[in-house]
This record gives sequence, structure tokens and C-alpha cells, in this order.
Amino acid sequence: MNKHTSDITDAEESLALQQAQSVADSDAATELAMQNTLLTPRFYTTDFDEMDRIDVTPVRAEWDDLIADMVADPNKGHFKKNEDWDHVDWDGMEPELKKEFLDFLISSCTAEFSGCVLYKEMKRRGSNSDITQLFQLMARDEARHAGFINDALREAGVAVNLGFLTQKKKYTYFRPKFIYYATYLSEKIGYARYITIFRHLEANPQHRFHPIFKWFEEWCGDEFRHGEAFALLMKTDPKLTRGFNVFWIKFFLTAVYGTMYVRDHQRPAFHKALGVDPDWYAHEVFTKTSKMTEQIFPITLDIEHPRWQRNLERLQKANVDMAGATGLKKIGAQVRAGMAFVALFTIPVKKHQAPASVRLEPVY
Amino acid sequence: MGLLTKEFERAPCTVEISHKFESLHAHVRFNNGAVIHPGDEVQVHGPEIMAPFGEIVSEDREATIIRASKLEQLWTRLTGDFEVMELCEFSFSEEVTL
Repeated sequence: MNKHTSDITDAEESLALQQAQSVADSDAATELAMQNTLLTPRFYTTDFDEMDRIDVTPVRAEWDDLIADMVADPNKGHFKKNEDWDHVDWDGMEPELKKEFLDFLISSCTAEFSGCVLYKEMKRRGSNSDITQLFQLMARDEARHAGFINDALREAGVAVNLGFLTQKKKYTYFRPKFIYYATYLSEKIGYARYITIFRHLEANPQHRFHPIFKWFEEWCGDEFRHGEAFALLMKTDPKLTRGFNVFWIKFFLTAVYGTMYVRDHQRPAFHKALGVDPDWYAHEVFTKTSKMTEQIFPITLDIEHPRWQRNLERLQKANVDMAGATGLKKIGAQVRAGMAFVALFTIPVKKHQAPASVRLEPVY
Repeated sequence: MGLLTKEFERAPCTVEISHKFESLHAHVRFNNGAVIHPGDEVQVHGPEIMAPFGEIVSEDREATIIRASKLEQLWTRLTGDFEVMELCEFSFSEEVTL
């Protein structure tokens, strides 16, 4: 595994990394005191010819509506600090919470940044004007989100280092359809995650320990629109949601839900401060995501099945055991994690008819 | 491109880094139309480019593209998909316990 920015949590390691890279920052004097976090997005290629062949004619009316909405840029003025941005007492924050919350911000920033890199690459390599316009608009949103999170990190004394471009980097490859399934789900689940936290904090403002959560409502509107765009892309080619691809859809749903469950349980102090039970949160997010994905996927996972919660917990437990273990113990934990995943994956799905019209409105 | 041999080529490129509040982004653009394929590696030469907060820095540099061998390209195409979960927003933290 590559070293990821979010791995760097202690100052010594950051410093060592900083020295090793002999950072020549013109702002070095002020930046030196800051914890330096190197962003390390991955670089991807895909089958750009295949993407160029996408023809949005079957969904033209809905497509044009969505693009017009994105061009109008309803969130243009949103990502600015105003009087709602309360003072954050980073020094007074409980250390465990601070650590988990910084990890949350850094991983979110990396994700937005990686999305930007991926979308921009597609924009640049493609020649189909519908597709390149969409990716340009999405790259714009992701860069804006990353900038906003970066500013919150700066307040906390964490400097993001963009020096990765001069390091040697290898380009991996994803098939276009895997990008559609993964990013579609990622955007929709992102919307569900942001809006669930936002609504919860609206009802329980005493748990809002950082002002960034106040921005989540409009923020997730961008995620929502990106998801809509991928739904329309998939709608242009019915094969993507039929036949053996239904197996892949089930795989991605299970993997994405499972990953989210495991990751969220790594941040107990963060969820406690928000006043959110991670099990309740996961169930809430899965319910909303499943409802939305009915717009394009012919199946949803049966998250009320008795095996569902039980095996999520087994997966999480095995994952924790894996981290600290070596040798046979580690293999044992890996086998248990694999078995839990298979148990989740083999739960019978709920089938339904996808509606004729794809477009949804954000209603949560 | 050989089945097992890597090839090296030089390409002029422009690196743009934006470290502004409105937009945090960074890109490399090859100025000779060079195209990257699965498994290729890219090394931009010269010192690390740092954009101070609030600025956009754009520099012309030289890059080396290390072309993957035919076999490596095939391998990357076959196995790259397994890493696709990286695209998910919440999957970046590698540590199980923070």
C-alpha cells in the first residue's frame, strides 16, 4: 500500500517527511510550525475511447437540464467563510476527538482532491464535448470543496503539501464502468452522509463542535448533482445495469456499504462528539442511498435481513484484529473478514423496476 | 514497446498548482501531446513546486515518462480495477485504529 496522507498523524513523522523532501516553500517561516501533510492522490487512466463513444441522446432533455443547473453554479458563493464560521477552539479540543476529526478532514480533502484529479484527467483526454463539459464542471466543484477543507485544516495548524507532482507516480487503470459504479455510489452515499449529519445537527445544535458542518447542506447538493450525472451516463447504455453487470452492482453496493461501516467505526470519539451512534448512522445512510439508487440500479441490498448487521459487525471486528496481528492470527482475521463479506454478499437482493425517468430531487 | 522492456521518453510539461481558498488543485499537462497509458510512470524533474497559500503557480518543466512494458500494461489493465474502491470518499484512512 502506498503511504497515504491520512496515515501521517504524528508531528515527528511529518517532520521527517518534510526534511526528506527538503521543502523549498517560500512561506517556510510561517509554515514550519505547521504539521505538514503531503497529499498523495492516485493517478488513473481508463478507456478514453469508450468514454468518447458515450451518446447522451437518449437522455438529452434531462442531461441538458442537469448541465444547465451545474453551469448556473448554485453553490458559487457558498464556500466562503462568513459570520456563521464560529471560532474553533482547537487547543481546547479533546485530543482523541482532535485526532479523529483531523483525520476526517484530511481524508475528505484527499478524496475531493483525488476526485478533482480524476475528473480533470477525463476532461483533458476526452473529445466528446458532453462528457468533457461534465467532467470539467465536476472538477471545479471538487477543487472548491478541497480548498474549503484545506482552509479549515490551516486553522488547525495543518498545512497541505501539494509537492506530490514532482514525485514519481504510476498510473493505474480502471474500466469506465467501474468508475461509473464506484463514483456514482460514492457521490450518492456522500450526499446521504452529509445530509444525515446536517439534519441531525440541525435538531441537536449543541453537538456541532465545528462550523464546517453548517456548510454541509449546500455542499451535498454538489455531490447529489454529480451522482445524477453518473446515473444519466449509465442510463445511456442499458447493458450497464443488466446481465452480469448486476453482479458487479451488487459487489460495489456491498463493498461500499461495508467499507463505510468499517471506516466510521474507526472514529468513535468523532461520532460521540456529534452525538451520533455509528450503527444508527450507517443504517440511516444505507436506507437513503438504497432509495436513491433505485433510480438506476435494478437491485438494492436487503439491509433489514438478519444476516446484514451481524456480518457488518463481524467484518469490522475482523478488520480491527487484522491491524494488530501478525502471522497466523493475521491470516485468521483475514479469513474471518472474507467470510463476513461473503455472508453479506450472498444475502438475497431486493429487485425492482428502474423508473423510465432517472432524475431525482434532493429530498432529505 | 517491448513485451518486457521499459522505455524512457522525455516530454516538456506544464505543472499548475493552485493553493487558493477557492480552489485546491494540481495538474500536469504534457506539451508535446504525449499520452499516458496504464502502468506508465511519470517523473517531473526539478525541485518540488510549492504554491504558497492564496497563489497559483504554473511552471514549465521536463518530465520523464517511463513506459510500461506490454506485459506490465496488460497486468495493470487486469488488476487496476481492484483498487477502484479508492474512489470512495470515506475509504482513505488506512489505519484501523487511529
